[in-house]
Amino acid sequence: MNKVAFILAIFLCLTPLCVNAENTVDTGVLDVAQVENKEPVQDEIVENILKQRNVQKPSAHLNYDYKSTKTTPIRFSIKERIKSEADVYEGQIIEFEAQSDVYYKKQLKVKKGDTIKARVGTVITSGMNGIPASIIFDNFEIPNVKKGQVQDTFEVFGQDRSLFVFPLKWALTILPPTGSLTNFIMGGHVKIKEGKVFTMYYHPEWL
Amino acid sequence: MLKKLFFLGLFMALPLASFAIDDVKDVDIQKESAIQKRLTDVGTSILNANKIDGRVVFVYDKTEVKEKLKLDKTLLDRQVIVYGYDYKFIEDDNELAAFLSRRIAEAYRSYPGLFSGYLNSVKIKAAPKKYQIIFDKIGVDYMVRAGYNPVAMITLVNKSYPQKRGDSLTSNVTSKRLAKIYEHICIKYPYYLVNNEYYHNKSYQNFLLTSVNNRKMLEEKLRTRSRKEPVYE
Repeated sequence: MNKVAFILAIFLCLTPLCVNAENTVDTGVLDVAQVENKEPVQDEIVENILKQRNVQKPSAHLNYDYKSTKTTPIRFSIKERIKSEADVYEGQIIEFEAQSDVYYKKQLKVKKGDTIKARVGTVITSGMNGIPASIIFDNFEIPNVKKGQVQDTFEVFGQDRSLFVFPLKWALTILPPTGSLTNFIMGGHVKIKEGKVFTMYYHPEWL
Repeated sequence: MLKKLFFLGLFMALPLASFAIDDVKDVDIQKESAIQKRLTDVGTSILNANKIDGRVVFVYDKTEVKEKLKLDKTLLDRQVIVYGYDYKFIEDDNELAAFLSRRIAEAYRSYPGLFSGYLNSVKIKAAPKKYQIIFDKIGVDYMVRAGYNPVAMITLVNKSYPQKRGDSLTSNVTSKRLAKIYEHICIKYPYYLVNNEYYHNKSYQNFLLTSVNNRKMLEEKLRTRSRKEPVYE
């Protein structure tokens, strides 16, 4: 009988504590909810600039079928000369020109002289140790060719001086600190002349 | 008599304990297998969507962080290892895609070039700070082409990379990285900022809160159509 009374007493003592604990948790939940209901930090760039523009959802390449191995080269060159990667900026549209006709199953797909548009995707400036600058072009728009049928990006590099910088650096390690001086040799800038022909591959049966 | 009973009980309880340990191990293996499947699914869809014609594999390693003496296999073996430390920050598939796509960009860059891409790998190792930003940008491009939301790159980097006192020789200060990623999305994929799914995400809001000065610089650049690169903090 005493034991039962003792357990009952403990139970009665603990009950208010449990209720308090539950209340504490509830209050915590309310606090989080209040924080979430707070007005979020505004993004002025979106409100003042981007919302004024006509923005479209970029296309994703989700349906693909890489079964076919057929490829045809597309040769193209730039319409206006680029003297350095500093002349272009990310997002800029650059125009190229097809240098030869491209046929598939006796059908003309790309005509010589057709304009091929591409966007400057990423500009990589030249770096130390002879690492060259480069421009990554993307978002190619070729008439009669789907985006999934050509490579997504095309990168043009400046002169790669790392080819001699790294061997020179290693050769000079026996004469410190001359090896470290080669760090200051910069890589070449991107120069694209009008006559320079580039090749990318067209996969006519890809989706 | 009591001793005998005690040993008998212990003897009978041992197999039960070993079964319990086996069950725990099975659960761990199942969990790891599910994570591995998730990594492979997301990673392979990024590879396929971006027509990446070099093999890259994805491995989950539950250890907390990479040991310092271990070599980075991204450039050597074209193997993207996701450690437990990194995985615990990932909340959704977009963030996982963000993590994987920048590693894929790194691994894929080690394919072309002289000596089976060895020279390119040396360049990346020689200029890690420069390539850190480049891989962030290329990673964003990979995400978009694979149908993932690039804003997740901001939320992931914001919550998982510490803010050091300044640029070091090997890495950029995280706020600068974030500003560059934001600028890249702003210029190339503004759709995702105008229709921002992450706007109410706490990590994104924290990024907005901590990037006011950098965003002002970018706003000025966009408003004046300047080509000058802002000096982000």
